[in-house]
Amino acid sequence: MPEIVVKGVQITLAGLLTLREINLVAADRSVTGILGPSGCGKSTLFNIISGLMKPDKGSVFIGGGDVMGKTGLVSYMHQKDLLLPSLNVLDNVSIPLVLRGMPRKAARTEAARHLQTFGLQGFESYYPWQLSGGMKQRAAMLRTYLFSSDTWLLDEPFASLDAITKRKMHTWLTGVLEQFRPTVLFITHDVDEALYLCDKVYVLSECPTVVKLEMSIPFSRPRQNRTILDQAYGAVRDAVMDALSI
Amino acid sequence: MRKKFATITNSAVPLVFIGLLLVLWEYLVRVMAIQEWLLPGPLRILETLWGNLPLLLKHAQSTLLECLAGFVIAILISFILSFFMEEIPLLKRAFYPLLVASQTVPIISVAPLFIIWFGYGMLPKVIVVVLVCFFPIALSLLGGLAAVDRDYLELFRSMKASRLATFRMVKLPLALPSFFSGLKISASYSVMGAVIGEWLGAKQGLGTYMTLAQRSFQVDRVFAAILVVTLCSTALFTLVSLLERLIIPWNRKTEWRELE
Ligand SMILES: Nc1ncnc2c1ncn2[C@@H]1O[C@H](COP(=O)(O)OP(=O)(O)O)[C@@H](O)[C@H]1O
Ligand SMILES: [Mg+2]
Repeated sequence: MPEIVVKGVQITLAGLLTLREINLVAADRSVTGILGPSGCGKSTLFNIISGLMKPDKGSVFIGGGDVMGKTGLVSYMHQKDLLLPSLNVLDNVSIPLVLRGMPRKAARTEAARHLQTFGLQGFESYYPWQLSGGMKQRAAMLRTYLFSSDTWLLDEPFASLDAITKRKMHTWLTGVLEQFRPTVLFITHDVDEALYLCDKVYVLSECPTVVKLEMSIPFSRPRQNRTILDQAYGAVRDAVMDALSI
Repeated sequence: MRKKFATITNSAVPLVFIGLLLVLWEYLVRVMAIQEWLLPGPLRILETLWGNLPLLLKHAQSTLLECLAGFVIAILISFILSFFMEEIPLLKRAFYPLLVASQTVPIISVAPLFIIWFGYGMLPKVIVVVLVCFFPIALSLLGGLAAVDRDYLELFRSMKASRLATFRMVKLPLALPSFFSGLKISASYSVMGAVIGEWLGAKQGLGTYMTLAQRSFQVDRVFAAILVVTLCSTALFTLVSLLERLIIPWNRKTEWRELE
């Protein structure tokens, strides 16, 4: 039901035509990757989808309804973990529930039920500065999940992690996505990450940005294997790399 | 182990230095036979302090009371003003220059006016303390609020948080470390503010004690009072530091620096 459709979105930022015309569709319960050069407006696109910004032209539909300028309908996870240093893990992840009006105690109980899935059990009373990078991202992910269980915008969630932690997070995230089946838009710079996690990827051009390539990823999920051995892998990867001109 | 050793030497160095200065002071006063009403030695000052302790404590009590009253009022005003200035940008633009300009008025020149208006009681001293403390507190609080990472605010906006919830959960906690640095500055200034207030006319307080002692050339008593003022300031500073650890235990910047 929560299919995300972006239609003809255009925006000019500080006098510069940033997004010229963006059309994309994230099918219900699928993971859609967005790749593109730095500064091409990927985060801006997320700001528009989440209702934080209004485009000059075009529209955004979620589950069929026009959501332009409406916040609170999707769960937006920023590049940074944005955990509040003043709260411990449990209180940080319960924020969305508290904001929704749930009493603090009930919110804690509800959030605590998910700590296991997000690999945070035993760390509920830790403060963000006491956590590793991977844990912070998982805590941010749990907060994202508790805000909305069905529509997620993830903006380079693993960009700040080292290669090994990142790889572990991929395996973990595949499991979480299998379990909850949300509709996900996923911004990344990492082609292999996109091919591993996504059902479809969009490659964006430089500013003024248009969609340069739309490609379905034909490898089946869940991907138990560490390495994708599909015959088509090389060709798909090359096509994406070409579109990114790397 | 090395860290522990470093902490001990860190606190020992200034203590030894101060001790040496005191010994030098005592030595010079004796060798040069300086008159007591000009400059008494540290031992003489301690003796006076001990002899006048009950009286000094009584004066210190009223000074501290003025300090605390002024301090608390200054904190309250700062919080209220900062909240409105942060939430209503127009108010911030209007008030900010006024706030800074108010600091260019020398306290010493307006304090006598308060005495004319409000008499010799506690009120004019409390007002002076408020004026002295208010600026560092309000400025650090406003600075802390303005420095909050915008991405936190965007995140809370994307979660449809109300402005009040955002202020309470994000802005205020994140501004507290900065607020406390202003609070510590104010804590050490506040005693000075009260003493200045008393200096210009009061029935009791360390400032009164000092002016009386000074007029009769009892320099040892002036020094004893100065010592008490210093101790009061240090005590207030320590109190605020303890409160800081209690209220924002998550702010580990100091500990990190120690580890490095
Ligand atoms: N609020 C804004 N006002 C003006 N320019 C902005 C704003 N936000 C981003 N930009 C500019 O728009 C461009 C796209 O930014 P962004 O969406 O963050 O890119 P990406 O996430 O793809 O790296 C950048 O050049 C950035 O400097
Ligand atoms: Mg970005």
